[in-house]
Amino acid sequence: MIEIDEDKLIRCPVCDAVNIDKGKKNACRRCGSAIYQHRKFSTEKSWAYLITAIIAYIPANLYPMLVTSAFGTKDESTILGGVVLLWELESYPVAAIIFFASIMIPVMKFLILIYLLISVKYPLGKDKKVSKHKLYYMTEVIGPWSMIDVFVVAILAALIHLSSVEILAGTAATAFAISVFFTLLAAHAFDETLIKENR
Amino acid sequence: MKIENEDELDNFIICRQCFTLNEEIPIKDGSKALCSECGGVLYRYDSKLIDHSLSLSITGLIFFVLANMFPLLQIDILGSEQFITIPKTIVSLFENGFYIVGFVCVFLIFIFPLMIFLINILLFTLLKMERGEKLTKELLILLSHITPWSMADIFFISILVALVKLIAFGQIHIGISFWALMIFVLIDIYITKSIHLSEIWMLRKRILLNKDKQ
Repeated sequence: MIEIDEDKLIRCPVCDAVNIDKGKKNACRRCGSAIYQHRKFSTEKSWAYLITAIIAYIPANLYPMLVTSAFGTKDESTILGGVVLLWELESYPVAAIIFFASIMIPVMKFLILIYLLISVKYPLGKDKKVSKHKLYYMTEVIGPWSMIDVFVVAILAALIHLSSVEILAGTAATAFAISVFFTLLAAHAFDETLIKENR
Repeated sequence: MKIENEDELDNFIICRQCFTLNEEIPIKDGSKALCSECGGVLYRYDSKLIDHSLSLSITGLIFFVLANMFPLLQIDILGSEQFITIPKTIVSLFENGFYIVGFVCVFLIFIFPLMIFLINILLFTLLKMERGEKLTKELLILLSHITPWSMADIFFISILVALVKLIAFGQIHIGISFWALMIFVLIDIYITKSIHLSEIWMLRKRILLNKDKQ
């Protein structure tokens, strides 16, 4: 017979099995994966990925995402420029999708992750109605959707390939892909068991 | 809370959305258990999970092959016809020197979705034959690492967005691959989002227990 505290139960991030938090070294009893082992550096890994992502997000917005060259004239558009152009062409739903995927979602993810990373170390937002676990779950679900713009550019660049009319991917595509990649890593590296609100 | 041993923790499940501890109860075939706190789906019970998943995985794989063989989109532009397939889209990124984006795309829309289906086929075949105790464990671990990185569904939405942008350039024809990809994505969503990995772990445990009894 073991007596355990319900607060001491954690979920394995790999196989979802319920485990007892034993402190320093936790290996999942079902799948054997390590459950957030580095207690001393609990948030540093996530911070590092997140900062990399934010740095990569700056050139992603400054450099052109899409380069259209038609009959000798070159037209470069950034992410925001593309959204504005679509809005002017009256394709509102697509403009909204691109705006959400490439601007809203990444920025929201940065802010939510920063908030979560700070709040697990310092007493912040203790009396908030919004559950931090819900916030974290949301970032994990919506995160990958910011890849839409990169895929769209890839499709356009592959399809329109003539000597007179040509679409090329811009520098921002690389920067943006890197940024999304690192935000996903940052979210995965975040130790969910550090959130201690319902406990 | 008192428990006999650690294995008894298998009777509990922590909600993936709100981290609330829930007790696992037997439910009717085809129904789902919801979290007591937030109402998120905890697990489903499907007595024919192996057969359903196996047949869906094989169907999905066939449609994946189809989606990669035929043209995805074709455009008539300035009198010449241009078409793309999914592999051609990725190759053209490499040709234009976008190695990082090309590399990311290869994994996100080709290798990972393909691996998920191959792993699922192997996994459920092994479970059906009640063999490979170690291998099924490794496959399940691998599956949980890959699943968040598979973005076939996002790629499909990107095609729709690209279509709108392409209207200005010329006449567009939608290829066979587009419809194959649509079916593949629907199956992919069902397999990765609707079947929780913990259900497969539970199934594996039941199978192993049955095997021990015999």
